[in-house]
Amino acid sequence: MLKGVHQKLEAQQTPAFFVRGPSVFSRMVFFCALSVTIMAVDARLNYLSQVRQAFIAALHPLEVVANAPSEWTRDLQKYFSAHNALLQENYALKEQAFEQKVLLQRFNTIEAENTHLRTMLNGNIPIQPKAILGEISHMGRDPFTHTVVVNRGSNHNIKAGQAVVDSKGVIGQVTRVYPFTSEVTLITDKELSIPIQIERNQLRAIAFGEGNNTLDIPYLPTNVDIKVGDKLVTSGMDGVYPAGLTVAIVTKIQQNPESPFAKIVSTPVAEVNNHLQLLLIDLPEAQESKVPALDAAVGNPAPTEQNATTQAKTITKSKQKTLKNRAKANAPH
Amino acid sequence: MRRTSRVSVYLSLLVALLCQLFPWVGQGVIYRPDFMLVVILYWLLRAPNLCNVGTAWFAGLLVDLATGSLLGQHALSFSITAFIALSYQRRLVLFNTWQLVGYVAALLIVERVLMLLLKLFEGNENPGLTYFWPIITGLLLWQLLILLFGGLTRPKTN
Repeated sequence: MLKGVHQKLEAQQTPAFFVRGPSVFSRMVFFCALSVTIMAVDARLNYLSQVRQAFIAALHPLEVVANAPSEWTRDLQKYFSAHNALLQENYALKEQAFEQKVLLQRFNTIEAENTHLRTMLNGNIPIQPKAILGEISHMGRDPFTHTVVVNRGSNHNIKAGQAVVDSKGVIGQVTRVYPFTSEVTLITDKELSIPIQIERNQLRAIAFGEGNNTLDIPYLPTNVDIKVGDKLVTSGMDGVYPAGLTVAIVTKIQQNPESPFAKIVSTPVAEVNNHLQLLLIDLPEAQESKVPALDAAVGNPAPTEQNATTQAKTITKSKQKTLKNRAKANAPH
Repeated sequence: MRRTSRVSVYLSLLVALLCQLFPWVGQGVIYRPDFMLVVILYWLLRAPNLCNVGTAWFAGLLVDLATGSLLGQHALSFSITAFIALSYQRRLVLFNTWQLVGYVAALLIVERVLMLLLKLFEGNENPGLTYFWPIITGLLLWQLLILLFGGLTRPKTN
């Protein structure tokens, strides 16, 4: 009874019209402080990646709903694509497959020969990486960053750091992995760099994304031997991108007399906007911890080739396991 | 202010999140209005008893999670924008349609500039003027919301 009276009194003291809780300003200050804290935690410490993953997983049904209309239109287009066009495409593809088979025959012999020669020279034998086929489900939602989202995730054994290529060349690298999807950062993103080699003269360098759909190769002297039209391929030094994949074509070289470095601009060859399919290449297995032990067992001293330690790591396990790996790598194809 | 139900607020926010998640093809993402922001501004201005800075902050956090940007960025810019929106909220009765549109445009500009500063601070590249497209599309969305849910204040009865 007393309680009831008390409540009534309180209600009288603060009529509902004026009840607004803490002032808007103090709320704003509180939430700003909270967001700044979260930003700092997210940027500097990696505590929140789990939260993000859980949220994205919970959001998956919603995403499926959001993606549904575009998928339906795509399916509808496929359904109504003309019989003739399909036949033509089939014919063209068969022809292409035939040509590639012929090429592949030569490639196999050359590769066998190469392996043989390398074994004789006590050199390293490159391991053929495995790859998973994925499809771009949409472009990244943040127009600031250059990303695409692929319909393969940790459920398909995708790991952050994997290289991603399409039929023309390198697309980028997996940066975030969610259960059903993963985020691929394009090589044009400012955050990404890629070790490259000029195909013509084997000159090694590192290319950095510039943001506006171009790559920049800084820190090369003005008299460097690079021409417009030169093809940049991956050098394989990082152990992430397999060597020899096309990256970009040099489109512009500026020599500023005031600067000791040339400004070299190149455009990526991968067609992210035109293709849907892409390959996610497995990370080299050498990053697992068992490598040194295995190496010791074989009694093989660390390779003495000219390349950086990362590549050495990638390749050391070769000898004994080569055949096994080869068999494994070839099996799914 | 007219009565609004809590359900319609949260349902519309959910729909806004869905629109944000919608896969925008190629260049479309440049013109994409900031769905969450416009919807949250609408409810902030119309029903401040249901939505407050905290709701805006939470909506911003959802956007951060959904877009994969640095966690807390949108939350920060949304809460500051919500604060500015709410500080003039009681004077809205005096505004006519065009003044209201101007007010909302100013709020959207504030949010975009805040976001730009945060992004540049984080080390992103300068996106150029196309970055401000969502303000215009956002205003169109605002008018759509007014059509859908009705004006902010009770229509005047003569």
